[in-house]
Amino acid sequence: MKPTHLFEAEQLVAGYDNKTVIQEVSLTIPSNKISVIIGANASGKSTLLKTLARLIKPTSGKINLDGKSITKMPPKQLARVLGLLPQSPIVPEGISVADLVGRGRFPHQSMLSGWTKKDYEAVAEAMRIMDITKLANQNIDELSGGQRQRVWIAMALAQQTDILFLDEPTTFLDITYQVEILDMLTDLNRKKGTTIVMVLHDINLSARYADNIFAIHNGKLVAEGEPSKVITSSLVKDVFGLDCIVVEDPISGSPSVVPIGRHHVNNAYTP
Amino acid sequence: MKNSSTVSKMHEVNPHIPKNFMVVLVIGFVLLIASVFLSLSLGSRMVGLQEVMDGLFRQDIDTYEANVVRKRISRTVFSLFCGAALGVSGALMQAVTRNPIADPSILGVNMGASLFVVCGMAFLNISSANQYIWLALAGAAITAVFVFGIGSLGRSGATPIKLVLAGAATTAALSSLVVAIMIPRSHVMDQFRFWQVGSVGSATWDGITTFIPFLLIGIVIAILSAPALNALALGDAIATGLGVRIGILRLVAALGAVLLCGAATALAGPIGFVGLLSTHVMRLVLGPDLRFVIPMSAISGAVILTISDVSGRLIGSPGELEVGVVTAFIGAPLLIILAMRSKVSSL
Repeated sequence: MKPTHLFEAEQLVAGYDNKTVIQEVSLTIPSNKISVIIGANASGKSTLLKTLARLIKPTSGKINLDGKSITKMPPKQLARVLGLLPQSPIVPEGISVADLVGRGRFPHQSMLSGWTKKDYEAVAEAMRIMDITKLANQNIDELSGGQRQRVWIAMALAQQTDILFLDEPTTFLDITYQVEILDMLTDLNRKKGTTIVMVLHDINLSARYADNIFAIHNGKLVAEGEPSKVITSSLVKDVFGLDCIVVEDPISGSPSVVPIGRHHVNNAYTP
Repeated sequence: MKNSSTVSKMHEVNPHIPKNFMVVLVIGFVLLIASVFLSLSLGSRMVGLQEVMDGLFRQDIDTYEANVVRKRISRTVFSLFCGAALGVSGALMQAVTRNPIADPSILGVNMGASLFVVCGMAFLNISSANQYIWLALAGAAITAVFVFGIGSLGRSGATPIKLVLAGAATTAALSSLVVAIMIPRSHVMDQFRFWQVGSVGSATWDGITTFIPFLLIGIVIAILSAPALNALALGDAIATGLGVRIGILRLVAALGAVLLCGAATALAGPIGFVGLLSTHVMRLVLGPDLRFVIPMSAISGAVILTISDVSGRLIGSPGELEVGVVTAFIGAPLLIILAMRSKVSSL
């Protein structure tokens, strides 16, 4: 099991150039759990994730890992604890699956040491977890979208971090692959205790797979906690501006949002 | 049990080493030796294998042919070194800008070095390699910083497309400056014309000795930064997540590229396209892993430049065609093919 970490943000303000996107967000990531950041488009959810994962330097506020500021930690040392899969990574032309997954070992290698047994084992394990061992020698260009995403996650797994940030890992995937990826991430969390923090677009999948929800609206943290407590019709109205009812998902028992639009609405729910 | 068998299988056929690496390495060395032999034996005076051997190893033999071979040694050594420098410099620039068509000549670094050398010739009466090299390095470095600075303006930082545009614009501006300085000075024109085309024929042992430290430092920088550049190839975000200090990495790798290309340009003149050719051949056969592509680009660069020099001697016989003309002839079509093939999204 992965060790417990205290990862907290305090009065975080961040953005791009002169535009402030994240406004005074304070939060603590529950260790060894799955947290999902939800919010409407342009709410700042992705910016928050990027700031927590040190891609964006905060304008003010603190991000501490086990009491130490992450900006003051040596980047390689931090990269052995904190992994990140951004939204649109670049695929070098002609790269093989094994080469790409292997690049996740960078923070564990020194400038002069070559590949050690540990590196090979970590890569083999990551590929096994994501079920891509058979694809090792294939080119990424030849893979389907779902397989590709599994390769990227395997790269992040090869990094063997205790905490893993993922920015919309299921976007552009068919529903089948979305569920597959989320199941695999849940396996990872349950078996290894990896703390997972991700941005997801789909509120129902978020409610089902998250242990903890952070709801972002206009750059502010408006709600956090277990999905069953956080996902309510009033929160969905506040955060997404959507009228809805929340029912119990018959499969998982988690809350499930059923939107109320302008058409196809029974009289009982007409606002 | 299942676990350990997968691991041991991974060791047997290591997917982290390009599958034809050994073959490429062997072929590379064979070609290297062949190009050395050709460079020593071919030219306006053709010399056979026996005479090449005599010229190289038998100091007591003093035939005309043996002396021709001896005269060609410095030229051959220099074209090998210069080609290696240009190859590695191209690989570094492509990695730093994440742009497959980056090359010292495309980013304007060559032209910056040229401008400084021309100024040295025109205003300081400089005419020796040892003095060129510092001017060329300064010019290359300043141009690199300038192009990088212009390319980084705006919100998204130094994107590959902005770097190439900045390089192209800078090249245009600098080359007109070069012409403006040269035209009214006929004495500089003569001296510069030969240098500007790019030639390895005038190499001296003095020049080569001056060149070696730059070559070594540049190649060491390139090899040490290869793993981090591999991470950078996956995007700035992934690289940051993997613990790469991307700003410092780009700076150091660009410095290595400038050292290599500036020093080569100082001695041989601006030779274009070798960086482009040598790296693309290697990527084609080895894949994109820079830990292999960078060192192998040194070998392919050396072979390409040496063979180009030999071809120039044969085509231009009884005189010779400068090597810069030959590489441009091979390189320009390749650049067009690459530009057409390269995905716009990757820019």
